[in-house]
Amino acid sequence: MKLDRRFFLRGTSQGALAVMALPFLDCFLDSKGKALAVTGRPLPSRFGTYFYGLGLTKQLWIPKVGGTDYEMTMELKPLEGYRKKLNVFSGLRVPLDDNPNYQHWSGAAAAATGISPTKHSEFDSKTIDQQVADVISHGTRFKSVSASAAGDPKHGYSSLGGPNTLPAEASPLSLYTRLFGPGFQDPTKGDWKPDPQIMVQQSVLSAVSENRKTAMANLGAADKARMDQYFTSVREAELQMAAELQRPDIQAKVAIPDAPGEMVCNNALPNLRATLPLMAKLGAMALATDQTRVFNMSVSEPGSQIFVPGDSLGYHQSTHEEPIDPVLGYQPRVAQYNIQNMELFAAYLKEMDAIPEGDGTLLDHMLVFAFTDQSFAKIHAVDGLPIMVAGGGSGKMKMGHHVAGDSSPVSRVGLTIQKAMGVSLDSWGKGSMEIRQPYTELLA
Amino acid sequence: MTPVGFESFTQMADSIATQVVSEKYRAKLPCKPKDANAPDDACSKQVLDHYGMLLFRRPLTSDELKNAVNLSAKLAKSQKGFYAGLRYGLASLIQAPDFLFRKEWAVPAADKTWAIEPYSRATRLSYLLWNSTPDAELLAAAKSGDLNTAAGLDKQVTRMMTSPRLDVGMRAFFNDMLELDTFDTVSKDSILYPKWSSTIAASAKEETLRTAIGLALHDNGDMRELMTTRKTYINRALAADYRLAFPFKGDWVAYEFPADAGRSGVLTQASMLAMFSHPGRSSPTKRGVALMDIFLCEPTPLPPANVDFSAVNDPTGPLTVRQRLMAHASNSACASCHTHSDPIGLSLEGFDTIGGVRTEEKGKPIDVSATIQGKSFLGAIGLGDFLHDNPKYPACIARKIFAYSKGVNSEDVTASSFKYGHTAFIGSGYKLRSLIKGLVEAPAYFTADAPEPAATKVAASK
Repeated sequence: MKLDRRFFLRGTSQGALAVMALPFLDCFLDSKGKALAVTGRPLPSRFGTYFYGLGLTKQLWIPKVGGTDYEMTMELKPLEGYRKKLNVFSGLRVPLDDNPNYQHWSGAAAAATGISPTKHSEFDSKTIDQQVADVISHGTRFKSVSASAAGDPKHGYSSLGGPNTLPAEASPLSLYTRLFGPGFQDPTKGDWKPDPQIMVQQSVLSAVSENRKTAMANLGAADKARMDQYFTSVREAELQMAAELQRPDIQAKVAIPDAPGEMVCNNALPNLRATLPLMAKLGAMALATDQTRVFNMSVSEPGSQIFVPGDSLGYHQSTHEEPIDPVLGYQPRVAQYNIQNMELFAAYLKEMDAIPEGDGTLLDHMLVFAFTDQSFAKIHAVDGLPIMVAGGGSGKMKMGHHVAGDSSPVSRVGLTIQKAMGVSLDSWGKGSMEIRQPYTELLA
Repeated sequence: MTPVGFESFTQMADSIATQVVSEKYRAKLPCKPKDANAPDDACSKQVLDHYGMLLFRRPLTSDELKNAVNLSAKLAKSQKGFYAGLRYGLASLIQAPDFLFRKEWAVPAADKTWAIEPYSRATRLSYLLWNSTPDAELLAAAKSGDLNTAAGLDKQVTRMMTSPRLDVGMRAFFNDMLELDTFDTVSKDSILYPKWSSTIAASAKEETLRTAIGLALHDNGDMRELMTTRKTYINRALAADYRLAFPFKGDWVAYEFPADAGRSGVLTQASMLAMFSHPGRSSPTKRGVALMDIFLCEPTPLPPANVDFSAVNDPTGPLTVRQRLMAHASNSACASCHTHSDPIGLSLEGFDTIGGVRTEEKGKPIDVSATIQGKSFLGAIGLGDFLHDNPKYPACIARKIFAYSKGVNSEDVTASSFKYGHTAFIGSGYKLRSLIKGLVEAPAYFTADAPEPAATKVAASK
């Protein structure tokens, strides 16, 4: 069933109770609109990753000059409205050391972990969002939430390392149900009270974890790790329940909409144009209502299978098979897909920026790490990966810059983000990507 | 198991337990409490012991039982209801690692190898044959020790293979082997192929499962015919996809393609043709690589990163897919893999990305000839015959079902480990039941390697 966007908005305005509660929330802000006047507690840090496949075309996206006065290039044009809330990084190196270049994987994994992967489709460590979540997610219902716009739960690029990839919600309806379905207590409403069921469920979980010792006994190393991961997950469910007993402090002006209908979720561009903004909106609401502080969004898989109906090649095949136009010097159809991909990123940013919160918007109070798998997909090149950071991290990162090709490893961006998010670490990454020096000029 | 995975398991566990103790079903429980508003340890113990055995596929240990009974009592008290408490005792078992993971326990055997213990044997058999937990009779055979005797094992295997639940178990196997689980996310170009729909996709998957189960179990047929049979099952949606008249009232009907339709077994079913194609066009490479892996157990390595496609990109003249692929032959690095997998795919070029028949590409007649390992053949029928007669194909089925039953990667098992099943398979004229019987009744099937320091091992998680 196709979801009519107006239907969604109509649902929003029907949440009359929630809308009415908002002036009440605003009065908790101090005169600068920055913190709860009563508690003086600052807005929580929020983080997101945004994965898009197949990179961009070098000639068309890299601005000629660095700094804040760079020209908006053809492929960055869709993001123009957000340039003051955006940093773009060109010329980043991705040294893979002794590992093979796993096609459509090594670049993405290096960006997300600072480590050249030793296996296809697995990250060698926790991904950056999980490292940040370990620090900022205490006391929220969900440590992190992932969403995949193209309908495949495997398109989640958030991982606890090795085979423990966190599955993504693969439709607007499943994302909605997870966030705002059973177990959700709307903190925008006046009658919030903890669900007495939670305490009962807590005692069930503690009974389950009591058997840990016997369950772990006699296992080999690999199975022990697997069982340990199980009990870590039980522990996380316990923490999640503890968080559900506390009313979240929220300052955003939002009303939780009605559930969306079933939608066709696949790699066809027109469908992505419907599902991606809707899922971004739901993710933004989850961040704004403090259900989670980490939201990961993916457009597609690496080696993006996005296609415009009628194009029998599609995005990925085009990157390999479309000839380089001798006059233009690039692949024109691929460039078109690049731009369409950036339009989707802009649609995501629009949703993050649409929620008023304190002195700005949700986007101003978060950081979004946008990464991809290839720099030049035609030959599976990874050096020069187009990386972007959006938001403002509540003023912790200076925005509006083009950081021009300084040959830093891609991990330098991840290190800088973590410094801005308050993660305490001296270095990040491994091998040639291990880095100690963040972009200090970007850190406030 | 990730936190996200556990989150859904814990919710599901509670929902199942709630249904079990609901007013509608509680009469089926083995006992009634003395007072429905208070704890009753004797009754909850009886219920949890009974279901605990079915859930954990073995008797609960006294500690496990005690924990669950105590939890039920504690919550029955606070919730003021026997069933309200029992619900959580049950739920704690349904989300326990001993239910969610399949553990195989082994004990040292006389001849220095280790032997899988009886309850773990029962579990391995029931997941292989029924894709579910052992029933009471199988657990009883484990308890009595019957399952450890050749006669007792044969009796249970024979019983389980005559049960209709074998269909369920083998559907799960074929779904896995034929990679049909990846079919759910296949999308097609709606402008080039407007006919394609999620109904056709679901039907195509069902068609292939019905064909495999029909041949293997209902007809007790020769499994090599999976490559060549013209018999299939169609519904209205598939009839549209295959451009056939569907003059039937029913839902699914048996159908036999005419000899001149060019169809050959599951190779030319919409599922396999669509799954290994691009959204807007067929892909001989994808088809070739997938079929080599699925039916011959010959995986293809990944292509090099910096492939130069300039040889196949002639913007001035439209080349056919075959012409473009043939360019690989001029490059030895590409040729080593492409000459291996492409012929299979090229012989299927008479079918488009949604499984429809076609005879022309870019105005030129499609050449469906292929040569592989020195054998030349024509089109899908030729490919079907080639695979039918290729001894690697039945060996591959034996390998895959053996690996499936043990929860390991099929590339990681040795040929000797499934030799018994493989021999029985050949000897029976390639009957699936004989293969399974041969596999599970092989002397070494229920043995394990001696562990290094620890005494047990977990084979597979489910």
